[in-house]
Amino acid sequence: MTEGGFRHEVRKFLAESLTPEIKRAGELMTSVFADFDATMKWHRILHAKGWIAPDWPEEYGGTGWTLNQRYIFQEECKLANAPAFPAMGLQMLGPMLMHHGTDEQKDYYLPRILSGEDMWCQGYSEPGAGSDLASLITSAVRDGDDYLINGSKIWTSYAQHSNMIFCLVRTSKEGRPQAGISFILVDMVTEGLKVEPIVGLDGTVEQCQVFFDNVRVPAANLLGAENQGWDVAKSLLEFERGGHNFTIDHKKQMAKISKQAASQQDADSRLWQDNPVFSAKLADVAVDALALEFTELRVKGAFEAGGNAGALSSLTKVMGTEIGQRFNELSVEIMGEHALVKQLDALQPGYEGDSIGPDCGLTTMAEYINNRASTIYGGSAEIQRDIIAKRVLRL
Amino acid sequence: MFIEYSEEQTMLHDSADKYLRENYSFENRQATVKKSRGFSAEQWQMFADLGWLAMTFEEEAGGFGGGALETMILCEQFGKYLVLEPYLESVVLVGGLIAVGAQPAIKEHYLSGLMAGELQGALAYLEEGNVANPHYVETKAEVTGDGYVLNGSKAVVLNGPEADMFLVSARVGDSSIDAKEGISLFVVDKSRQGLHCNNYKTYDGRSACELQLDNVALNADALVGEIGNASAMAAPIFSRAIVAVCAEAVGAMDALLEATVDYTKQRKQFGQSISSFQVLRHRMVDMYMEIELTRSLLMATAWKLDNGAEDAEQCVAALKAKVGKAGRYVSHNAIQLHGGIGTTDEFSVGHYFKRLAAIGVMFGSRDSHLSRYMQA
Repeated sequence: MTEGGFRHEVRKFLAESLTPEIKRAGELMTSVFADFDATMKWHRILHAKGWIAPDWPEEYGGTGWTLNQRYIFQEECKLANAPAFPAMGLQMLGPMLMHHGTDEQKDYYLPRILSGEDMWCQGYSEPGAGSDLASLITSAVRDGDDYLINGSKIWTSYAQHSNMIFCLVRTSKEGRPQAGISFILVDMVTEGLKVEPIVGLDGTVEQCQVFFDNVRVPAANLLGAENQGWDVAKSLLEFERGGHNFTIDHKKQMAKISKQAASQQDADSRLWQDNPVFSAKLADVAVDALALEFTELRVKGAFEAGGNAGALSSLTKVMGTEIGQRFNELSVEIMGEHALVKQLDALQPGYEGDSIGPDCGLTTMAEYINNRASTIYGGSAEIQRDIIAKRVLRL
Repeated sequence: MFIEYSEEQTMLHDSADKYLRENYSFENRQATVKKSRGFSAEQWQMFADLGWLAMTFEEEAGGFGGGALETMILCEQFGKYLVLEPYLESVVLVGGLIAVGAQPAIKEHYLSGLMAGELQGALAYLEEGNVANPHYVETKAEVTGDGYVLNGSKAVVLNGPEADMFLVSARVGDSSIDAKEGISLFVVDKSRQGLHCNNYKTYDGRSACELQLDNVALNADALVGEIGNASAMAAPIFSRAIVAVCAEAVGAMDALLEATVDYTKQRKQFGQSISSFQVLRHRMVDMYMEIELTRSLLMATAWKLDNGAEDAEQCVAALKAKVGKAGRYVSHNAIQLHGGIGTTDEFSVGHYFKRLAAIGVMFGSRDSHLSRYMQA
């Protein structure tokens, strides 16, 4: 199929399948997550269509699309305001299961990720182990055919919605810290496991702390061999970094900000788009976003040629998130005092009451606030720069 | 120009710092935020008893005759301790406007009430049509036989839910919708018929409302200042208000830098305090330099306003623009260096960040003031 034909087919499907509520949930996203219920509705629709995991190989339930088609699909979904899916199952654990899982694990877990039956969260960071992940101390001690897990995980996104968690746990204190870590899959409905929500700066809960008190997990739930968890995680971390396409996010942000600048006025009663100071700043960000777009195309080209992105994926993570934050700042500039109004009700897709202020500014402050985390999670901007320094510049 | 605090100013600084340090913990503040009222009546009464609410009013009105410098000294401490009480709204804005323009009986009544901590005010001057331009006023005031009738609506009225009275801007006659001239200011008691408030919270933990005025009838003495002259009357008050929020911002940035330095010394990763990493040390040095540059601009601007310097207004624009930039730089990096816990509701850092974000959009955002600075 031609590119244009494919795009047309995707658009047609989106126009027919995205219900107003699901679309509204996508419009009202103020972080990487959309309203959970609407997201799951969309998940089931895409699953029924067979399009839930375009990035997966066909044998596991992927679509068999080319890289280009997958890009087009992602782009069309985002620009049509389809909710984004939590990355933990589809983008992170799924590929790791394919690489490191036993046949039993693959047969059991992969279809459940596709169907949405299992919702996964990621248990990596700990209160004392953030950027220095290898210093983690949550322990798994062998007890017959099981492990007993004790400790706690933090910044566990969407743990409150999850029934499964994949964890890095310490199984040995010998050798380098990385050498004693194992990767284990844990059913969250197990005695001794407790989830505590962490309220974020916008007043909503996306993060949790998960506590393990003698949580018994079958040894068969190890992914990869005992003490080989670091290697599993490392490939996963690279997937987390390389797997995101920032250009599409930026295009959505640019569309949003253009709408704001074309409707809101500045102190001299000009539209913001005609304000020279603002326009120069927006152009500055837009040019950086364009340069990143071509960088992402280079990364994509390297993938297509069978190579890998190398440290370019650290570059896109740093620049992609920082450009996103600059867009957020410009939106706040435009919306002015309207951005102060906290109306969490109106950010629910099913909300039927009146909202306060212009609709185009409803998400502005929450996006600005929540997006500060984007340069912290998934390897902070400082850690990413270290990776570039070491791997590219050999410093 | 050389700024040296007088003995009284030094005392004001020290006593405000001491009182708030001993009586305004972050934990208590957060407990207050979660209550429906959003500020502490006991604290507000203490502020009155300490003389802070009267500090900047003329002596013949019962105040202590302070100016922009005293406003700055107090607000810097308010920023440092993330004070919620509506000093800006009730005292600097409403008090300031009442003091310069209200008719004698009303002035006596409100100022004595404000200074005693018994009355709260809110300035209702923005409208949804264009919040960036205070001269955008669709609200109409019709002249009747014995007063005025107001119709229209006002947006983002800070402290509106707590206010006993509003100062409302409205047009008399048919000047164009965003003309600087033709705007008048009226005292409107909250109990007036035809006044409707739609209350809500703001992201920085305070309260505000949208205000609807349906045929609100006012007596002739409700007019503040001359008819059609509100913009000129309010300009110096807005300058004072900008000094107030910028001082608050400097106090908040000081607190953020202190918290960040402490945290990075305590937090260990890779076997050492993260404060030992040069990239983080330099970041904190840059935060420090941004704060000190802003503080210099703040002190100079307050001094120039008090001394009627020719370039005072241009300095006000420079100050607000600088605070926009420094506030972001310092708060963004405070969160970045704290990592995950900087993004939680439980920790103070994020609340300073949100207050700085709010200050950033109040009285014109950075881009507006950059433009204003170049035009001056």
